[in-house]
Amino acid sequence: MDLTFFVQQLFNALQLGSLYALIALGYTMVYGVLLLINFAHGDIFMVGAFLGVFASMVLGLPFVAALIVSMLLTGLLGVTIERVAYKPLRHASRLSVVITALGVGLLLENGMLALTGADPRSYPEGFINTTSFSIAGVNLTSVKIIIIVLAFVLFFGLYAIVQRTKWGMAMRAISYDKFAVPLMGVSQNQIISLTFLLGASLAAAGGILWGTAFPVLSPYMGLRVGWKAFIAAVVGGIGDIRGAMLGGLLLGFIEIYTVAYGKDIGITSTWRDPIVFGLLLIILVVRPTGLFGVARRQKV
Amino acid sequence: MLLSVRDLHVSYGNIHAVHGVSFEVEEGEIVTLIGANGAGKSTILNTVAGLQAPDSGAIEFKGASIAGRSAHDVVKLGLALVPEGRRIFGNLTVYENLRLAGFQLDAAELSRRIERVYGYFPRLQERRGQLGDTLSGGEQQMLAVGRALVTGGNCMLLDEPSMGLAPLLVQQIFEILAEINREGVTILLVEQNAHMALKLANRGYVLETGNIVLAGASRELAQSPDVQRAYLGG
Repeated sequence: MDLTFFVQQLFNALQLGSLYALIALGYTMVYGVLLLINFAHGDIFMVGAFLGVFASMVLGLPFVAALIVSMLLTGLLGVTIERVAYKPLRHASRLSVVITALGVGLLLENGMLALTGADPRSYPEGFINTTSFSIAGVNLTSVKIIIIVLAFVLFFGLYAIVQRTKWGMAMRAISYDKFAVPLMGVSQNQIISLTFLLGASLAAAGGILWGTAFPVLSPYMGLRVGWKAFIAAVVGGIGDIRGAMLGGLLLGFIEIYTVAYGKDIGITSTWRDPIVFGLLLIILVVRPTGLFGVARRQKV
Repeated sequence: MLLSVRDLHVSYGNIHAVHGVSFEVEEGEIVTLIGANGAGKSTILNTVAGLQAPDSGAIEFKGASIAGRSAHDVVKLGLALVPEGRRIFGNLTVYENLRLAGFQLDAAELSRRIERVYGYFPRLQERRGQLGDTLSGGEQQMLAVGRALVTGGNCMLLDEPSMGLAPLLVQQIFEILAEINREGVTILLVEQNAHMALKLANRGYVLETGNIVLAGASRELAQSPDVQRAYLGG
């Protein structure tokens, strides 16, 4: 086997996988605290990418500043969506909330379409350093390295928040037992807002990084990517952020390596998605709660 | 008067669970509400703690009305509920459970209060790194009381602390409750174990299907033929 080729694909897989992971984290966190699949999350990712375009084109901000601005604004969008659309349904049936989430997604897609038109967008020239270089025959770009490093930094930052801070403890507590959280003097609404803030801003980071790696932004870009990240979260064990990270990376690896080696055995790249989802289904058959998931115990 | 409840009505959907209940708790007292399953005891505590909104009636704590206030605000006033079934966070360690209860505190005050809890319950200190799920029922009850102490509750509402515990453990926990009370914490105790509750409390109220049917000093209640027949197996 050609080792150089293998390592080359390794970086491609890490890049794609860490992008899925950044989005999957938002699905899994919201599910953890609200048991809600936020189907608008893929579209929040899209809004994050577009806000990055506006920040760079209209305000002329460089990469880091545009990233921060987009993460903040998208985070606030996530909080607003929860307050306006989901909070009034806190005690409604789960189905009503899911349908509302789908509706919010459609609103974001079509709202963006109306605002920006149907022409695909991309980041301006020089937005991010795009140097190419080669180490031992492996071709790399600075974009790829930035994406992988940033995704891992954000993940470990989030992990530290969830494991080490009182806010993170409150998030974990809510996911275990909502009832007792207010008795600790903690406002549930604050913690839920924080969850949406973090999840949406990570999706925004994912959106901007996605746009630098695959520079064609459209209002519908969140659909496919969103679904895949959702599936990554489920495979990892929804509700667990390590699971979302692992699930995202796993999805990236399977996709990249299916295409890279499939053609040697006569599998064309159009088979990528059927094979990816087939493998993921097998994982779920073997471990229905996902890689990191634990079955929710019924408490008496 | 530390806590006073007047003419409280509460319902869940169509079920009218509490029908005009009134009672009072003085600072420093231990007061118990006893009664059979379904008498409305837990509903009353949950309503006082702000987890459930009353239909009507007044709830005053330290002279301020708290009826209908949200639970996380009520806690900050110094009223802490130790809920039925303990409800500790099984995915958090013992320390994290206590840490969360001190959400509003600065580091110094937090560690002072946690040390105080470890003083009452040395077992919790030994197990501080263990997940809540791995504790025994008695240890979970200690942790539930410990959390209430960390929130700064100087009035503690306890809902069935003896539930599911071996008699010896119940004895131990009740002894610590008496000690906590001697150090200034007012206690309102709901129990099915009327015998233990009346031994610990200064005064008691007997609830039946959402109404208070008897009230008095614990000793009198324990000797009342009605109470003996219905709750003390005599």
